[in-house]
Amino acid sequence: MSIGTPAQIASAAPDSRRGLPDYVLRRPTGLYRSLNPATKLAIAALQVVAAFVVPGWLGPVAVLAVLVVVAVATRTLRDTVRIGLAAVPLVVSIMVVNLFLLPGAADPIGRFGPLAPTWTGLQFGLLTSARLLAFSTAITVAYLTTPVDDLLADLSRRGLGRRGVFVVGAGVQMVPRTLERAGEIMDAQRARGLDTEGRIWRRARAVVPLAGPLVLGALTEVEERTMALEARAFSAPGRQTLLRVPADSTRERLIRWIALAAILAMAALRLTGRMG
Amino acid sequence: MTSAEFPAGAPAKMAAVAAAAGTRSAAGTRAAAGPKTPPPSIEFESVSFAYPDGTQALSGVSLRVEPGEVVAIVGQNGSGKSTLVKQLNGLLRPVAGRVLLDGSDIRSIHVARLAARVGLAFQNPDRQLFANRVSAEVGFGPRNLGLRGADIAERVAAALDAVGLSPAAETHPYDLGYSKRKLLAMASVLAMRTPILVLDEPTTGQDARGVASVRAVVAGAAAEGRTVIAISHDMRFVAECFPRVIVMRGGRVALDGTRESVFGEASWPELHAAYLEPPLPAVLGARLGLGSTPTEVAVVAALRARQ
Repeated sequence: MSIGTPAQIASAAPDSRRGLPDYVLRRPTGLYRSLNPATKLAIAALQVVAAFVVPGWLGPVAVLAVLVVVAVATRTLRDTVRIGLAAVPLVVSIMVVNLFLLPGAADPIGRFGPLAPTWTGLQFGLLTSARLLAFSTAITVAYLTTPVDDLLADLSRRGLGRRGVFVVGAGVQMVPRTLERAGEIMDAQRARGLDTEGRIWRRARAVVPLAGPLVLGALTEVEERTMALEARAFSAPGRQTLLRVPADSTRERLIRWIALAAILAMAALRLTGRMG
Repeated sequence: MTSAEFPAGAPAKMAAVAAAAGTRSAAGTRAAAGPKTPPPSIEFESVSFAYPDGTQALSGVSLRVEPGEVVAIVGQNGSGKSTLVKQLNGLLRPVAGRVLLDGSDIRSIHVARLAARVGLAFQNPDRQLFANRVSAEVGFGPRNLGLRGADIAERVAAALDAVGLSPAAETHPYDLGYSKRKLLAMASVLAMRTPILVLDEPTTGQDARGVASVRAVVAGAAAEGRTVIAISHDMRFVAECFPRVIVMRGGRVALDGTRESVFGEASWPELHAAYLEPPLPAVLGARLGLGSTPTEVAVVAALRARQ
């Protein structure tokens, strides 16, 4: 039985829409948010490739500038920064390693005992960090502006098998789910007197009580989720009905082709040595 | 209705209910052995709290719980019940207002220290169980409080007995069913013997025997003078075990009073507004003119008289 096109559903009388899940009726607002998930993925891929392939500072700086504009326009700047802070330890380690240990660098900034940071190392570390930030920010912005159910519905429409969709969905949702679960576990153990804020050896002692329920809970959840899916005919033969199909258009298809062509062109130029 | 009287009033009566349930032995009674010092009073002074995503969970909540009171907090999902009790042991801190234990602001007291005074059993046991034996899981809290050796063993045995899990002491927690894992999580908090005991949805997922165990735990703790606060959607359990009921709605206290007043017909509009149904005995009592907390005997007598 057909439930109608998204436009028909959206314009239907409120009584006839009652009982439909929220994601069926929800309409993304704003120019960037309302792009098809595949288009946003293509743009993110282009940004990532540009950040790494375009030589010098131009690639990462231009990509980061574009991403900041998109994040501001889509009101995701705050969350983007918050998620980006997770990369700080990696950035610090990149800086330290390159500053002090970059092979072949021989222009010391100064000497601190046996350590001799170099200008070349500093520059290389900053450039690598900028590329890494551009990479993570591109993924983050795409993630924050794309509802997971929209992405999965679009992948289903494009013919990705239901198992593939499940794997993608589980992967995308794993991080926020794990963080949420970790927060609850932390609360429960602290309520039983576990000190997670004291000295380092106290924190080390807290690892098992925190990691144990996290791992065991995740395993249990996978089992329960699998059974719940099977109970709802996950493996049933036949084509699934999509309750909602994210909007797509000729203009967006053109954007995706342009993004793909640009990625291939940059890769070719880089491989042939015509781009630095 | 159960054979127990619907409105078991005073703690002594509740202990009798526990005894009637037949789930507690002498050791079980020791499990909930009360604190040597009386529990502190609890006071929320205009407490407000918002989550980082902007959700306003509590708005100017003010209430006081006297030492040894047995209180149920009810309300629809998202009404602020769990957020409120998490303020008690510092897991969440108010953005405005104060939480006082015995008149002292707990703002600067570390959670690990507050855990010795406020025991909070969470709703989902799988968010805390990690040990490879039930007894080790129950001993985790007392160990964190600085106890060692025989003291822990004694508390573990008593707490397991209190919830009827003594035979499973050497079992792996994940070999237990959900309802028993939930009782295990409760035992792990009971073993800490905190003067204030907070239970979040203790009867969810429990069969009649499990509910009887929970009732016995509440009654035992109450009889020993501990303050007991429980969050629950189980109105029958609330009506049977809690002399005071607080109804929360939209992050505020909508009703606060004795179960007789909260479940009385005059409060039904407020209960319905909070998406709550009064317990069946309260409805029957109102229809039969027996008040909001009739005994089973009185209800039966009134029905017979009508026939």
